[in-house]
Amino acid sequence: MVGGQGALCGRRVLELADASGAYCGKLMADMGADVIKIEPPGGDPSRRIPPFWRDALGDDTSFSFLYANTSKRGVTLDPARPEGREILERLARSADVVVETFAPGHLDALGLGYEALRLVNPRLVLTSITGFGQTGPHRDYRCSDLVASALGGALYVTGEESDPPVTLAGSQAHVSACTFAAVSSLIALLHASRTGCGQHVDISMQETMTSVTHICGAGKWLDDDILPKRRGTGLFASVPSGAYPCSDGLVYLMVNRPHHWKALAEWIHEETGNEEVLDPIFEGPSSRRQEHRELLDLFISEFTRRLTVDAVYHEGQRRHIAFTPVNTAAAVARDPHLDARGYFVSVDHPDAGALRHPGAPYRHARTPWAVVRPAPRVGEHNREVYGAELGISEERLRALRDDGVV
Amino acid sequence: MSSDRAATGAEQALRGIRVAEFTAGMAGPWIGRIMATCGAEIIKIESQRHPSVVRLYVPPRTPELGIQPALSPWLTDWDAGKRFVALDLSRPGAVELARRIVSICDVVIENYSTGVMEKLGLGYEELARVRPELIFFSSSGYGDTGPCRRYVTWGPNIEALSGLATLSGFPERECTLTQFAYPDGLSALHGLFAVLCALDHRARTGEGQRITLSQLEATIGVLGPLMMEQLAHGREPRRLGNASLQAAPQGCYPCRGEDRWCAITVASDTEWERLCDVLQRPEWGEDPRFATLATRLEHAAELDAGIAAWTSARTPYEVMDTLQRGGIAAGVVQTAEDELHNDRQLAARGFFEEVEHLAKGRVVASGIPLGLTGTPSRTGRAGAGIGQDNDYVFGELLGMSPEEIRHAIEAGAIEPPDA
Repeated sequence: MVGGQGALCGRRVLELADASGAYCGKLMADMGADVIKIEPPGGDPSRRIPPFWRDALGDDTSFSFLYANTSKRGVTLDPARPEGREILERLARSADVVVETFAPGHLDALGLGYEALRLVNPRLVLTSITGFGQTGPHRDYRCSDLVASALGGALYVTGEESDPPVTLAGSQAHVSACTFAAVSSLIALLHASRTGCGQHVDISMQETMTSVTHICGAGKWLDDDILPKRRGTGLFASVPSGAYPCSDGLVYLMVNRPHHWKALAEWIHEETGNEEVLDPIFEGPSSRRQEHRELLDLFISEFTRRLTVDAVYHEGQRRHIAFTPVNTAAAVARDPHLDARGYFVSVDHPDAGALRHPGAPYRHARTPWAVVRPAPRVGEHNREVYGAELGISEERLRALRDDGVV
Repeated sequence: MSSDRAATGAEQALRGIRVAEFTAGMAGPWIGRIMATCGAEIIKIESQRHPSVVRLYVPPRTPELGIQPALSPWLTDWDAGKRFVALDLSRPGAVELARRIVSICDVVIENYSTGVMEKLGLGYEELARVRPELIFFSSSGYGDTGPCRRYVTWGPNIEALSGLATLSGFPERECTLTQFAYPDGLSALHGLFAVLCALDHRARTGEGQRITLSQLEATIGVLGPLMMEQLAHGREPRRLGNASLQAAPQGCYPCRGEDRWCAITVASDTEWERLCDVLQRPEWGEDPRFATLATRLEHAAELDAGIAAWTSARTPYEVMDTLQRGGIAAGVVQTAEDELHNDRQLAARGFFEEVEHLAKGRVVASGIPLGLTGTPSRTGRAGAGIGQDNDYVFGELLGMSPEEIRHAIEAGAIEPPDA
């Protein structure tokens, strides 16, 4: 019925979240928590986010919905209706965490804000994920993944200097907010278990982006007087670093320590006969090589062009130099290392039979991560949750459905 | 926040949890850095013989000073609030002392190369003997099994390896990378979540366990829907730049000033109508080419040019505030300087923290946005040297006498603190 053997087995989470918050619930559900996804009657609009399996628009074909909602149970409910609010309160009594992504103040207006839920369940952790947080002059500003990434400093430092700023694929502002939200929910839960006191967790997507980009943030600017900006594929502080062309694709190289440079210079010399690259003026920490960056990039490209990506990757790593391929998604899908680890998992799909998903981000020896069920269909667990668990009669449930509450 | 909850905030959320850290770089250390802000006690074990890259810091403004470990901004960002001891783990006596530290800890966090902890005699099996309920967390580039488990990687390598670099960016660019080593922060947050789950399990069952994390796998995981498209259809997802399949117009538009930009997202037909109002382009509102998301996506280039003409005449903050007043999502492409000095939202919420620093007095650091309103987090002392807390950890916590400590220093097991 519920859960697997995950570490959060026995914990219950209610999720009232759109696409910006679903990954938070997934993190907890795949660890064994009973995450009940509460969608508006008819289903959440995030079911309609492209692209779709076989390019077919439907309630259960959106890749992003299918991915971010694994292991959850799904019910429908309109919390704006009095009967809906009452049901939500009953569910909140047995919940450990509620995750929500409404605009600030929305739950308060429904009589379901933190102060109201605390009266129902003092141990409850309410985790709110919004663009800018529950307070401050911008709390009612509208947000998107791109807007949060821009304000959080990611765009300015991504891509080529001559291009406009650019964002990362895969809605990473949502990811950063959800990951922080999952972390904070667990910290608050541990505290609540010890003290009996829950709390309101206020996650701002702009702040979580500012935090994951902090290497380019305040410290660098105030201490070093360096304003980080777009610099192509290399990192400013690491010389050499960046993407280099091989005979059949790109490799990424990063040199951070003096002995890595030495190993690389010796290999270039062996392969190309280049004597200049052995010059001791290039030895030492990256700062010593900073002014020679372009020349060294030239030496490295001359060298990598002669070899295949695989040759540079594996021989480079044998020499303890951090060379890695610049992979396409196709290359990731057939990567032998991931295959040997059994990384990708198969998850049932109502129509497809099974779809392959990325697997566990971490491996717990005793309480394994697992996808225990595919993303729920619209209202799939209404009967199970409302009937069997809350004891609402079949007849009453039918009336609530006809009335548009569930 | 009501006053009674503010009062319970005096007790921090992770008080009573103690962590031993064997880490370098960022992906491991940031976990302890965040736990420390919630009251956990983090003991970081270092060695003068193998300082982390974090301490190999040459100040760019004064390179003539050479390596200045305590001045490193990364030391604040990744290691503030911790306790530091210095052990030369190549000495047997030091390994024994490290085990004694672990025997009073709840969690071990390590991100040395795969196999190093075992070789030192500090693997999970051995440590679980001295502390059976221990949670032992390892983070590495590729995980602890598989043919590439010993390969060397840094954050940007993982951007390339995971597919993130080729999936992101403008269509005409083969790969696009960040300057912020995104997989490092991402892996730290996933690792922290994994550890917290294990702590919850332990609180309810008394059981500890071993956890391993592959930074590569955690990063592929946040590209889930894109990977699924490839796995299901055998087709490479399109690089979209700043565009979206579900919102148009959307992009990053040039503003007045050098390299100034504002991001804009129009996510619905209602917002599209608002945009036509704010930009005073009533003819757009009536144009059938722009009537639906599908047709706006098709004619995005023309819309983008029209919007850029409007934004170019304004500063990025004017663009953001004007559009937001009109109910449209817009945000300035901020620099580090903007975040600190021009962002009234971050300022009002006290995002940046003033932190006590042993070498610099006080410093301003990026906040840790946990949003714990009942048990606010706070960053402790920054800028500590290797071995700074030898006396506290070996003397107070482990109960060694000054004489025992002196002997361990003479034997080369404990290294004396930085002068």
